[in-house]
Amino acid sequence: MPVASAAKIALIGSPNSGKSLLFNRLTGLNQKVANFPGITVDIASGQSIDDSSIQYLDFPGVYSLQALSGEELVAVEAFTRALEEDLLDTVICIVDSTRLEKGLIFALQVLETCHRYNKPMLIAANMVDVLDQHSMQFDPQGLAETLKIPVLPISARTGLGLSELAEAIAKANVPPQKFESDIIASDESINHLHAQQLAEQHGPKGDLLINTQTRLDSFFLHSWFGGLSFFVIMYLLFQSIFTWASPVMDAVEAAIQWLAAVVLPIIPAGVATDFASDAIFGGIGAFLVFVPQIFVLTLVVGMLEDSGYLARAAVICHKPLRFFGLTGKSFIPMLSGVACAIPGIYAARTVESTRKRWLTYLAIPLMPCSARLPVYTLIIAAFIPANKALGGLVGWQGLAMFAIYLLGIVCALMVTAIVSRSSAELRTDLPFVLEMPPYRLPSWKPLLRNAWNRCKHFVTKAGKVIFMVTVVIWILGYFPNYGESLGGSWLGTMGQWIEPIFEPIGLDWRYGVAILSSFLAREVFVGTLGTMFGIEGAEENFTSLAQQIQDSGLPLGSGAALLVFFAIALQCVSTLAVLQRETGSWRLPVQLFISYSIFAYVAALTVFNLVELFA
Amino acid sequence: MTLWDLTQGASAKVSSFKSNIQSGYRTRLSELGFHPGEHISCVLSPSLGAPKLYRVNNTVYSLDDSIASLIEVA
Ligand SMILES: Nc1nc2c(ncn2[C@@H]2O[C@H](COP(=O)(O)OP(=O)(O)O)[C@@H](O)[C@H]2O)c(=O)[nH]1
Repeated sequence: MPVASAAKIALIGSPNSGKSLLFNRLTGLNQKVANFPGITVDIASGQSIDDSSIQYLDFPGVYSLQALSGEELVAVEAFTRALEEDLLDTVICIVDSTRLEKGLIFALQVLETCHRYNKPMLIAANMVDVLDQHSMQFDPQGLAETLKIPVLPISARTGLGLSELAEAIAKANVPPQKFESDIIASDESINHLHAQQLAEQHGPKGDLLINTQTRLDSFFLHSWFGGLSFFVIMYLLFQSIFTWASPVMDAVEAAIQWLAAVVLPIIPAGVATDFASDAIFGGIGAFLVFVPQIFVLTLVVGMLEDSGYLARAAVICHKPLRFFGLTGKSFIPMLSGVACAIPGIYAARTVESTRKRWLTYLAIPLMPCSARLPVYTLIIAAFIPANKALGGLVGWQGLAMFAIYLLGIVCALMVTAIVSRSSAELRTDLPFVLEMPPYRLPSWKPLLRNAWNRCKHFVTKAGKVIFMVTVVIWILGYFPNYGESLGGSWLGTMGQWIEPIFEPIGLDWRYGVAILSSFLAREVFVGTLGTMFGIEGAEENFTSLAQQIQDSGLPLGSGAALLVFFAIALQCVSTLAVLQRETGSWRLPVQLFISYSIFAYVAALTVFNLVELFA
Repeated sequence: MTLWDLTQGASAKVSSFKSNIQSGYRTRLSELGFHPGEHISCVLSPSLGAPKLYRVNNTVYSLDDSIASLIEVA
């Protein structure tokens, strides 16, 4: 690929201007994340579908070149830096022609910047199909003449005007002149006045907001119907995560087992086979199983976002969440966390405010994720009688499960409430100003692609870390006695060391080792414990392991303590790895890991003593 | 009167920002269209103190009380 000599065309625009859709149109599937030295944001890059000598770079959407949040600052710096270092040939500024005034405020900032760095620029006025639908027009020629740069009316959705855009890009070689007018005003409002005047002269005239939007809003934000539809939609979301993803998850698991059955006999018996079976197929397999869930969740949340509903859900949840130091936009990431923390952490990207996103990260690992489910099932089966009360209406086991789920959510909200009140706000925070996009039918292709990319990102980036930790745990559990007994391994020895830690909660070293190994992934707890109780395939056989636990005389207090410990502790390498990726440092994951471990331990200790006191 | 006091269906002109507004907020609100002189209407005011929906030009924004009460309207 002649990338070095390719003309580099930057796309820049505000969120919701249709930039992603245009980028997808222009580049098709040939996308990858561009790497610029010193630039930390993800800039997607892609070759033009009809001209391989053109490379498009998609800069993150920003509302303004005068950045307000840390995130925006990074994006704006990436753009100016690329201009400074002469990495770009032409800049395309995308504006929404149905909201020309707002788009022009931004475009004028871009124009000034391009003038300063001597880069040709053109404006792509998107969404003209919407104008057509309302039989409205605007005057791109007039605008182009006034601004002295090309203005191309396009529709990223229908493809209208894209060939003209390509021609204009090929011809663009003159940097814009400084925009002058006879308006005299203070620096701050001059752009605004210019934009207002330009939109007045050349913009579409008339009322674009269709009444259906207002009507749908008064339904979805109605005190009764809004609340009801909110719960129905959330219920469907959960259904999709658990029911749509689980057959695929089963398939992935089966495929890994099949592969193991084919590959393992080929490897000469000994350390290599044991490594392949325990660490590669067991360890890596355990994390690949999450991929379908990430895919489905990203897809469904993307659908909600594209349809415009997500913005309404954020409005509904804003007030209650604000009490706990969060924002309405924290809702979806936290909700996703109930399935799995990892897609939840990815979803937190939509929280623009750096501080609120950070608080959201604190909450997500405490949400009752599905990896805790096997552990809860085991312990509840061992301790809570299966009989029902109130004539069969209330099952004690179900009640216990509900309580432990609730505990996780309450802990999450408590943590953010306390932390947000006790730590001062250092940086400027974004206020809650949320654009309400029109209700639209989602476009499928970009959504599927996005879900696919997210999965790829998870497998390639987080996968490396997970692999390394898996290998370390395996080595500790396998040597020096070559997997003969876990008790004699280094992991076993460590279990004996840490026994004093777990003894106050009434747990012996085997539980200590199981807890240790569960720091890799929570569900490993059941498997490790099962191995140690000498039961094959503990995952399939909950009741009998539960029976064993019962017979071993573990006190009720210890069972309750285990539940509480698992509800709070951050025992998940994948979560830590993804947090590191998303925040760009190990600081937050390490802090969270340590503080939640201590929190979990103290809570477990308290619960143990309370239960033993009263039981 | 502030923007937050605007009832559903009513509209008004932005007159100024409260003096205690952070300058970053003021700039951003201006860029979004909440600019002195601009007509704003409150399209929806949900119950229970949820953020209200305001329309400026052809765009609808949702603002919560903490920010809407920093904008003076007349
Ligand atoms: N009708 C219409 N919708 C569009 C057009 N371009 C983008 N959209 C829609 O506008 C929404 C926002 O587009 P997106 O590309 O995600 O915007 P971005 O935030 O700027 O990347 C999506 O629902 C798109 O399908 C267009 O030209 N016409």
